[in-house]
Amino acid sequence: MTTAGSIEISHVSKTFPGKGGSTWRALDDASFSVRPGEFVCILGPSGCGKSTLLNILSGLDEQYEGVAAIHGQPIGRQHARSSRTAYVFQEPRLMPWRTVRANIEFALATSGFAPSEWKERIDRCLALVELSEVGDFYPQQLSGGMQQRASIARAFAIEPDVLLMDEPFSALDELTARRLRQQLLTIWAKFRSTVLFVTHNAFEATFLSDRILMMTKGPGGRFCDEIDLRILARPRSYEDVAVFESSRKVVERLVSHVGDLNDH
Amino acid sequence: MSLQQIGLRLYAQPVGARLIRRLASRLKFAQVSRERAIKSLSVLTLLALWYLGAAMLPSSIMPAPHVVFEVLWNEMLAGPIWSDVAITLSRIVVAFSLALSVALVLGFAMGLSKTAESFFDIWMVGGLTVPSLVLILTVYMVVGLNDHAAVLAAALPVIPILTINIWQGIQAVDHKLIDMSAAYHASRARIIRSVIAPQIAPVMVASAKFGLGLIWKMVLFVELLGRSDGVGYRIEYYYQMFNMAEVLAHALLFLFIMLFIEIVLLGKLERHLFRWRPVQRRF
Repeated sequence: MTTAGSIEISHVSKTFPGKGGSTWRALDDASFSVRPGEFVCILGPSGCGKSTLLNILSGLDEQYEGVAAIHGQPIGRQHARSSRTAYVFQEPRLMPWRTVRANIEFALATSGFAPSEWKERIDRCLALVELSEVGDFYPQQLSGGMQQRASIARAFAIEPDVLLMDEPFSALDELTARRLRQQLLTIWAKFRSTVLFVTHNAFEATFLSDRILMMTKGPGGRFCDEIDLRILARPRSYEDVAVFESSRKVVERLVSHVGDLNDH
Repeated sequence: MSLQQIGLRLYAQPVGARLIRRLASRLKFAQVSRERAIKSLSVLTLLALWYLGAAMLPSSIMPAPHVVFEVLWNEMLAGPIWSDVAITLSRIVVAFSLALSVALVLGFAMGLSKTAESFFDIWMVGGLTVPSLVLILTVYMVVGLNDHAAVLAAALPVIPILTINIWQGIQAVDHKLIDMSAAYHASRARIIRSVIAPQIAPVMVASAKFGLGLIWKMVLFVELLGRSDGVGYRIEYYYQMFNMAEVLAHALLFLFIMLFIEIVLLGKLERHLFRWRPVQRRF
């Protein structure tokens, strides 16, 4: 269990240079904070700068204004050892020439785990995502849903303080996505990592999170609203009327802020 | 339904499955043997064409295959041909290692650094454009008519070709996987070793096969131009003597050796490296 995963974003702005001197302001003075062990969803329409935010937090994007910090330390490659961050992308991003097991080994190696504990960790995480049988298979031999589960196993294998997730279920069919959401909550309950989950799906955000941070439409995405969902008891289920009711309210709030999106 | 019919039904299922399995395995066997048949046919066609040429031309110009094979057999029994083969092979090994290592360094530098790319770009285009003959003669002039010069001269024309191959292989690398590794805090060295290298391995093997084929022609060429031993020299010598059977016999032996290296050794490496790839379909 880890507790070292607070996230602090204050006055972060990001501008992408475009062709011929024009610019695209992806983030405009964004601020929020996440407590250790909290599950927070960032909800907003496409192009509001959600992914940009995750790229900044993961250290992939180092060109931004403002302060971004994990566990009180500004983001940068050098912070790698003080706290562990895992990233689940929209696509599985597994290396096709490595077996599922060897893909997870890669993350364990980069995070500095001793090879003697690899096997045990991998076995445990594969069991959590119900992939114990296919550890020695290559990614291309698995379905899309299984591949995404393997990438979730990879993320939890390093026991992350912070887990960043960028619409990880959006490319899957709804039934698979439902199962994976449920599975994610079960695993999260065991690890209690801080999760920052980006999505444009209001129901998904409601079902998963303790708190929803809502973003305005881009360019110049900002946080415009915050919804506390801790009243919804865990473990949550899809049949729960309260979850459904809350998600309806979330959609209403989203529409009131963003307007009916025709271009979505 | 009578009891007998039920029994038949129960029995029919496993028999059917067994039959299908046996058919499938026979089909697979048939596919393999079909491929073998086509390959044998291809070799036989080649031999037939050679015989056809031999029948149309004087035997001093185009000796028939069995004549050449007999000459080759006698050479192999007599022995001196082996020392020429050994000399040429060692030159190929050295020249190939030299060319590949230089191409690796240059290709990686150009693929990873914009500065290196703009700097070496013109060198590569220039290297490709200058005829190999000019390069070889220049090296012989500068370094002298010795073995160092021979190896260098054989490696030099191949370097730009291999470099461009490797450089483009690196450009085709999947950046999403690199981002993934960076998000998991992989060091630059590890990213190169574990993420970039496996992706350019296919290009590397292709380059190695291609480079080996080029190098061996270059080595024969430099031997012919400036050495007094090796298969290239021997071919030139017998050519001067107007002994085509010996020329072809020497070439043939080398062809066999290179085929062995390429198909058996590199082929095995290729199958091992790319075992994760799904079976390729034909369009």
